[in-house]
Amino acid sequence: MPIKTWELDPNFKNEIMSEAGGEHLASCFQCSTCTLGCPITEIIPSYNPRKIIQMSLLGMREEVLSNPDLWVCLICQTCTARCPQDVRIADVLGVLRRIAEREEEAGNLKIDSPRPLFDKAFQHQLKKFGRLYDMGLAMEYYPKKEGSFIKGMLAMMKDYKDFGKRMFLKGKMGPLGGGSPVKGMLASKIKQKDVMKKIFEELGEGGKEK
Amino acid sequence: MGIAVIGGGVAGITAALDLADSGYKVHLIEKNAELGGKMEELAECQMGLSPYIAKVENHPNIDLMLSSELERLSGTAGDFKLSVSGNEVGVESVVLAPGYDIPEVAKSYGFGSPDVVVSLDFEGILKAATVSETGELVRPSDGKPVKRLGFIKCVGSRCQENEICSTACCAYTAKEAWEVKERYPDIEIYIFYMDIRVFGKDEELVAELKDKYGVKYIRSRVPEVIPEGGALTVKFENLEKGTIEKLDLDMVVLAVGLLPSKTMSKLAEITGVKADKYGYIETSLTSPLETSVPGILACGTATAPMKVRESVAQASGAALKAAGLSQRTEPIPGQEEHKFIEIGDELKTGVFICGCEGEIANSIDIPAVAERISELKDVAYVNSETNTLQEAMDAIESGIVDQGLTRIVFAGQSPRECEDIVRDACAVAGLNPYLLELVNLREQCAWVQDPKDATEAAADMLKMAVERAKYLEEIPVERYPVIPKALVIGGGISGMNAALGIADAGYEVHLVDKGAELGGGLRESTELQSGEKAADILKELVGKVTANERINVYTNVKEEEIEGRAGSFKAKIVAEGAEDAEIEFGACVIATGARRDFVPEGYFGYGKEKNVTTVSEFVKMLAGKLDANTIALIQDAPGEGVTARYSSIEVVDSALKAKEKNPDANVFVLYQDIKTYGKWEVLYKDAREKGVIFLRYDKEKPPKYEDGIVSVYDVIFNDEIQIKPDLVVLSTPAMPAEANERLSEIFRIPLKNGFFMEKPERPKMVLTPVDTVNEGVFICGSAVYPAMIDECLAMSSAAASRACVLLAKDFLETPAMTSVVDEEICAGCGVCEAICPVEAIELTEELVPVVTFGVTTVVGGTKKVAKVGDGCIGCGSCASYCPSSAMSLKNFRDRQVYAQLDYAV
Amino acid sequence: MSVNKLAYYPGCPSEGTAMEQHMSTEAVFEKLGVELVEVEDWNCCGAAEVEDPKLLYALNARNLAIAEKEDLDIVTPCSICYYNLERSNKALKADEALRTQLKGIDSSLDYNGKIKTKHVLDVFVNDIGLDEISSKLEKKVNVKVAPYYGCYIGRPPETAFDDPDNPVLMDKLIELIGGEIVPFNYMKTVCCGGPLMMTRGDIAFDMARKILDVAKNAGADCISLACPLCGMMLDGKQADIEKALGVTIGLPVIYITQLLGLALGIEPNKLGLNKNAVDTKEILGKVV
Repeated sequence: MPIKTWELDPNFKNEIMSEAGGEHLASCFQCSTCTLGCPITEIIPSYNPRKIIQMSLLGMREEVLSNPDLWVCLICQTCTARCPQDVRIADVLGVLRRIAEREEEAGNLKIDSPRPLFDKAFQHQLKKFGRLYDMGLAMEYYPKKEGSFIKGMLAMMKDYKDFGKRMFLKGKMGPLGGGSPVKGMLASKIKQKDVMKKIFEELGEGGKEK
Repeated sequence: MGIAVIGGGVAGITAALDLADSGYKVHLIEKNAELGGKMEELAECQMGLSPYIAKVENHPNIDLMLSSELERLSGTAGDFKLSVSGNEVGVESVVLAPGYDIPEVAKSYGFGSPDVVVSLDFEGILKAATVSETGELVRPSDGKPVKRLGFIKCVGSRCQENEICSTACCAYTAKEAWEVKERYPDIEIYIFYMDIRVFGKDEELVAELKDKYGVKYIRSRVPEVIPEGGALTVKFENLEKGTIEKLDLDMVVLAVGLLPSKTMSKLAEITGVKADKYGYIETSLTSPLETSVPGILACGTATAPMKVRESVAQASGAALKAAGLSQRTEPIPGQEEHKFIEIGDELKTGVFICGCEGEIANSIDIPAVAERISELKDVAYVNSETNTLQEAMDAIESGIVDQGLTRIVFAGQSPRECEDIVRDACAVAGLNPYLLELVNLREQCAWVQDPKDATEAAADMLKMAVERAKYLEEIPVERYPVIPKALVIGGGISGMNAALGIADAGYEVHLVDKGAELGGGLRESTELQSGEKAADILKELVGKVTANERINVYTNVKEEEIEGRAGSFKAKIVAEGAEDAEIEFGACVIATGARRDFVPEGYFGYGKEKNVTTVSEFVKMLAGKLDANTIALIQDAPGEGVTARYSSIEVVDSALKAKEKNPDANVFVLYQDIKTYGKWEVLYKDAREKGVIFLRYDKEKPPKYEDGIVSVYDVIFNDEIQIKPDLVVLSTPAMPAEANERLSEIFRIPLKNGFFMEKPERPKMVLTPVDTVNEGVFICGSAVYPAMIDECLAMSSAAASRACVLLAKDFLETPAMTSVVDEEICAGCGVCEAICPVEAIELTEELVPVVTFGVTTVVGGTKKVAKVGDGCIGCGSCASYCPSSAMSLKNFRDRQVYAQLDYAV
Repeated sequence: MSVNKLAYYPGCPSEGTAMEQHMSTEAVFEKLGVELVEVEDWNCCGAAEVEDPKLLYALNARNLAIAEKEDLDIVTPCSICYYNLERSNKALKADEALRTQLKGIDSSLDYNGKIKTKHVLDVFVNDIGLDEISSKLEKKVNVKVAPYYGCYIGRPPETAFDDPDNPVLMDKLIELIGGEIVPFNYMKTVCCGGPLMMTRGDIAFDMARKILDVAKNAGADCISLACPLCGMMLDGKQADIEKALGVTIGLPVIYITQLLGLALGIEPNKLGLNKNAVDTKEILGKVV
């Protein structure tokens, strides 16, 4: 099916360019540097950030935002470092992910990736404790990803049974981790947790500024 | 006083020679110990440039300052004081030609593998390969033959560190690929590119590479070359399949971009000239050679990245501008009339063997050769003491004067470099310059012979030359006066600029134009890409031309009836509404421009659909209100003619202007290659950033316009995209001026696709872009190829400069080595007349004299005899075709050649 | 040596999965005579999961402000923490309005842009200097090393402190301590897959495996690195990768601070060499 430009959203590029990180989108001249240097393409040969950018420029908003490829970006910055036109592709994809999350929040889109759930869980932990709490993060993320607490726990067990045992034996996780039996099990919290709360309430997703 | 030229690369050399040949004192300042600049690193260029270098080194009007740097500059135009490595030099004007440097390359290109090289180094590798023992092109790392070779374009250009396009790389990459394919047809070549930015001949070369040589052009900007398992792996996008593919190569050449010379910032600081934001010397679209400091001119890659052709044109143009600010103080070389000694039958041959600064002495035992030559009976004198050309010339002069030598044999470098200089030395000393035999001992022996055989071979070559010298004849040197006036054909921006340049140098100019008013193609423009108004520029230029007392303007000219030769032409100018004018001139500049009146009737419904228009028309629309909301510009719409250098720039510029005018408009550019070369690259970037959408189509699948919908298969999006435009804008090809065919016949200058061809050079490179095979005729502007305004201005200044070099001479010599006919033997068959490429031979009826008993009587009949006219260029075609050996070429007589051959066999 | 006291930002993994990096960093700086003052009550930098720039700047402003009060430049052993601290530092220095806005959220975010942010590698080679380090070396670490730099050391350009394609700082340290660099050039900076570990483990495993494979095939005794996320992927998850992909690798993965510590004669356990997931005994045997 031909792409009918009059059915697209020509303002989409401006929407992206108005967000932090997306400013240089339109500088792209479709040279393929990003795609050819991207380590993901070694594993997913159809992955093509160059095309995501051209689709964005053309205004293919829906196709871009629902594209699961947005969520396999590693943010490794290889594309950004090499881009001859300073498009800052990694940041542009970040903008697209944020817009997609907002659209999902608003019920306009279903994201086909667990990554937003993970990022949200991570941020939630941060907001609560000020530092990353591995166990808490996993306990929050897996049930959401799998759709129920039980399924989540099973999936977590599958992924982390061996790893957890390994870390436990090395004294990095569990009752013997963190230098004391208590520290290893619980979240490492900062004292000024209220500051974290303020930051997220102001700037986080759904925060005052958004 | 004089002129300082800073930089001894190709641009500096060209500017210096134009000035010195016109009688100006030149101080040529070069930071390195040798002339040639970057060209010295390019095998072909080095060979092509060497005669020019030799000429500079031996030019009486050039003060060559090697290993010297400009330290200070004070004063103003007409009175500059320069401090050059401690020496004080006073000049009236300055030409800056510091050249370029190449950028650093990202480590991702090969991660240190020696098999990934930059193009300059590749030239050296290729040169070394051809003279190596096996002759094979091998990998630097392990000496394995190269089977797959990759070129990556735009390395270090069109990027953040170097925003602009380096202009030259597309063409030089094609040339390198062609050379590889010519020598090694089995090597597979892959060229990775973003846009192929070539025009005219280079465009044809690329097409030939693709179609005939099977070179693969792949559209991907390859960001990394990974050395693994003995191969270099690159990844590229297979656009058709929508996949990423890997390719193993043996060697990769990086077509690196150009940067301003590292010395540029210092030079700008010292001279006070403004540099632009890229570090180049700031010039403008309408004054491409002038810097921000009056009296200081700039040329070549110091002003923008460009090819040799454009560099050299700018250099000649800058020379003209510099000359305009200076006084001529020096004699024009080669203008002295020489009296030659009577040599009678006396045969005293002098042999001079030059060591060529070690280049010959290194592989040939010169004293041994000299000893053997001196034993020959006809050799009266042998000199093998000299080591430079200048020393050798002094020795020849004193040999003629003191020893009374009547034949000279000179063995040294190639005659391409030294012939004029040695003949001149003979003439100065009073010996007819054609009693000279040259032996190319350096290129044809020292450089190529196995050292163990070289001395023997050298002796043989010299003995053959001595044999031939015996039969050399004195050829009279005849001169005719140069008419110090010029004819400029075409009154567009190029023609007017050329006319002004020549007139400002003090010569009378006849400027003819077919139109009723001066102005040419520029009259059709509204606003230039620089924002300047075309009308303002025209007004100023036309004003200057009409106010100039030395310029005679002829308009409505129908045709020019021209005859004569370089230095001495006559013409009748036939104009509508005016009496025929008879004029004389010594040089002619052709500036007929190009036509852009191709009507794309039938393409995309042009002519039928009201909303389909051309770029020229669209540009005019942009001056008014633009109410189209969706605009599709189609670059390279088909048609008759060639793709102008301004074509893509104009499309991108007008798309940008449309977007600026109506920011909410959806502006699409459909293109095959965006050719915004050089600094125009920023226009392309601007257009993208302002929201113009670029869609790439393939020539095989051109866009369609049906039922109000433009459909284009975007080859890098790999899908069909449809647009519903309010306006479809077609960029159409440019066509040659109608007068070109006629002028081509009159002056015998070949055309290519209807445009004039420059004088061909060997090796293939363009060091004289405005010279033609006719020594009295120069070409410029869009008559050569449809070009941008700055290029037209630089080229027309160059053509004016070259014309002035000719007009500065009082006399020209008639060509000496022309054909002569032995009328007694001539059977009048006419083969020579038919074969002569310049139509210089005519068959004439002669009465046949019959001698009867010692009394000459005329008996009835006549016979046809060939007559060689003034136009003979000495090519020798007639001599070799003449069935009765009646025709021969002076200095290549049968007996001269046979004597040489007899010795050899 | 142009530095004697720095604020130290350990980063979240220092308390768990990368505690050996934390231990070795503290031990090495102590040995080199540079005092580290841990940023009081530091918070997470946002890692790869906080993508919103302003949110990220706010999180890091707090850490920067704490160090600024001590008038100390910040050093961190983690590449991601470095990237986030440094880009926040740059943005905050350049944007007064941003600083004002953040200060308005909480006074603890009042950062004036007066300090620098550094990665330990940068401090070792460019601030302390190879000569100074060399003068304190006690042992030769006679191992073949594949130096793995990962993402945020050479890129993105505005925060990078080494070449994007062929970084060399770690190479210099390894050579200094008697190690040998195996041919590893083009893998030095290819991402380990870490950011996808929780959401696309399959991709992450593939990527990490490739790095391990190339290092092993190049004859390396170990991989050296400078980022805890890379450490988690290449070391912590190595056994999982072996199991999932049915391969045997068994390649020790050691933080550069641990290797340097060995050369400085620090006790292996003090450097946490008993905490690396893949056994490091063989490497210890080569320290002479």
